[in-house]
Amino acid sequence: MTELEAGRAQGLAPVRGGSVLQRYRDVLIALVAFAVLASVPLLTGSKALLDFVIRCSAYGLFATSLNLLVGYTGLTSFGHGMFFGLGAYSFGLIMQKLGVPIPVAFVATLAITALVAAAIGAICVRLKEIYFAFVTLAFQMLIHSTILSWASFTGGDQGLRGGIPRPVFLGIDLANHVHLYIASCALLILGLLGMRQIAQSPFGYTLRMIRDNAARASFLGIDVWRAKLTVFVLAALFAAMGGMVMALFVSGAYPEFAYWTISGEGIFINMLGGVSTFLGPMVGTVLLLLLNDTVTRFTEYHGIVLGVVILFFALGLRKGLLDFVAEWFSQRRDAGEGR
Amino acid sequence: MTRTRTPGISRRSTLALMGAGAMTFAAPWVARAQAKTIKIGMPTILSGRVAQLGTSSRNAVMLEVEKVNVAGGLAGRQIEMVIRDSKGQPQEAARVARELVNTDGCELLIDAEASSGAFAVHEVARDLGVFCIHTNSETSSLTADPKQHIPNAFRTARQGVHDSIIGGSYAAAIAKTKGLKKWATCSPDYAYGRDTTAEFTLYLKRFAPEVEIISESWPKLFQPDYTEVVTKILQAKPQALYSCLWGGDLTSYIDQANIYAMFGQMEVFAVNMADYTALTVVKNLPKGIHSGNRYIKTFPTTPENAAWGDAYKAKYNEYPTNWSWENATAIMLMAEASKKANSADGKKIAEALKGLTIKCPFGADGTVTMRGDDHTLVGYAIGWGTTIPQEPYVPEVKAGDWKTIFELEAEWKKSKGYT
Repeated sequence: MTELEAGRAQGLAPVRGGSVLQRYRDVLIALVAFAVLASVPLLTGSKALLDFVIRCSAYGLFATSLNLLVGYTGLTSFGHGMFFGLGAYSFGLIMQKLGVPIPVAFVATLAITALVAAAIGAICVRLKEIYFAFVTLAFQMLIHSTILSWASFTGGDQGLRGGIPRPVFLGIDLANHVHLYIASCALLILGLLGMRQIAQSPFGYTLRMIRDNAARASFLGIDVWRAKLTVFVLAALFAAMGGMVMALFVSGAYPEFAYWTISGEGIFINMLGGVSTFLGPMVGTVLLLLLNDTVTRFTEYHGIVLGVVILFFALGLRKGLLDFVAEWFSQRRDAGEGR
Repeated sequence: MTRTRTPGISRRSTLALMGAGAMTFAAPWVARAQAKTIKIGMPTILSGRVAQLGTSSRNAVMLEVEKVNVAGGLAGRQIEMVIRDSKGQPQEAARVARELVNTDGCELLIDAEASSGAFAVHEVARDLGVFCIHTNSETSSLTADPKQHIPNAFRTARQGVHDSIIGGSYAAAIAKTKGLKKWATCSPDYAYGRDTTAEFTLYLKRFAPEVEIISESWPKLFQPDYTEVVTKILQAKPQALYSCLWGGDLTSYIDQANIYAMFGQMEVFAVNMADYTALTVVKNLPKGIHSGNRYIKTFPTTPENAAWGDAYKAKYNEYPTNWSWENATAIMLMAEASKKANSADGKKIAEALKGLTIKCPFGADGTVTMRGDDHTLVGYAIGWGTTIPQEPYVPEVKAGDWKTIFELEAEWKKSKGYT
């Protein structure tokens, strides 16, 4: 055993032990969060609140999956929205053309996304930094253009028309607003829990090491390319889940879902919420949607307001909200210990 | 020192009682005042490149709503418009439409979205069962395709296939008299551009079979530079050119093609030219461009239409757009339908609206009809004419024949498998 390997083994041991404990803690938190969310329709009749949470689920899954790449692996993807769009379109098309039960379409969509992500990822993850960002953007535009020009299949720029059929399965009727809400919450919680497990697993720590020093990781015998490709595909799967929730919400799929602006929103959400904590993107999602919904109620000059907020976070805080809060707490704790 | 409570009714409970009493008396009044107004939600595009779609739709709607409110509102209820920006994103359009109904309490919807946004709002209308009039989407399938049909949604926008039938027959007549056989097309590269061009050439060739398309150009939507397109067309040396570019794209195209003196070398048919958004913006409007009418206050040549155009200009200091008349018509139809049903209830208005014919400044014969079987507007003024560089821009418009439209539309529907 080399010195480095020994060090690595030592370093990992407590992490593994901790993660078992954490795994149960995370599951517990997830269960409580789901229970709280699921009880909302019992407490309030506000359909707008349910709509809001459904959209938070879609964007939250998407933004958190992007953070697996940006925050954990250091891969700044500008094209992550393609998997959001791909999820929405695959799911919508399968439901419209094949009329299979929803869970089948769900699994099939994940399978399609995995295949496409593996192919695109195999090319992209070889590249670093700005090159990676731009090639992912290029693939996104490719998928977007394909959706636009393959009008006979995808409906072109008019989107998938005629609504997505939502047959009842296992007593769940997604055409019912409350059922759709519960299903979205379940997907969100399951998705977040899944991503949390990935982030806290040894694989997750490998990703952090690749982010901090890919050369060192490679010297330690880690197949960097394979690890990056794996997380690229995993992140794509969760983004596709977000896309499916969105497709169910609007009962359709539109080329805008696969446009670069969706990727941009994902990046913006991460900036807003913070990338150094797991729940940062979720906080960012809630913030952005809340901001968007309230500002558009009052003015059509929402661009100015959002721009000012971006400036505040980029120049003022210089980090996301949850990063800021986490730092503030650790500073207070340090100060407390120092006393 | 301790505080003692005085016996009897304290000041606080007196205030509380007074408040409760006031509420008891006021509540019915407040409720009645709320029931008096009816909220109509309107998702549209108010920001970005096509913000004019939203602003000119909003202007027209407000102009008409004022009139309806002065006349007593919808079945005695004053209209309150809630107009919100969707940024041209379908998922936002869906969200805003749901929010308008679920949170703001809008009982009726005017969907002033373009293309994909209209389909997104259509799904919301399907889900919520709320009354909805699409005012800006010209995509034929929105109402022609029976899969899209729902009892609570209507359309007051013109329809792509109507324009193509009239455009094709008009262009064919000129092609025959002037011997125009070689044609080129230049249209924006998205569904509207592709479909409209295909339908136009279909009917052009039907009426003038000797016509041949020798060159096709598909510039991107919102493309800033048209040099390559213009030179490509000039090299192909066609005798005539068809284009369904619109708004800023059309004006940039004309300004750039003018540099190459393109308009002297061929007959140009630009279906979207005769709209003030294009007519008033082009630097040197060439004489003799053939165009379909979008909105122009000189066609139909009635005092009602001219008065409407002038009233709009007086209020907003700009001329109405094609979107303006489509939205104004929606309010006119809703007001009439509500009068007929004697109710502001969405279901009753929808029932009354089916097959309803109303007097309207934008009608070909002074009336327009909401066709009962596919819930789309027919009988609106539709025609083609040629431009001159100054007002009235398109002095003479040759009116299209609605009988031809109905015949060919039925045939087209059959060919698409819609009937």
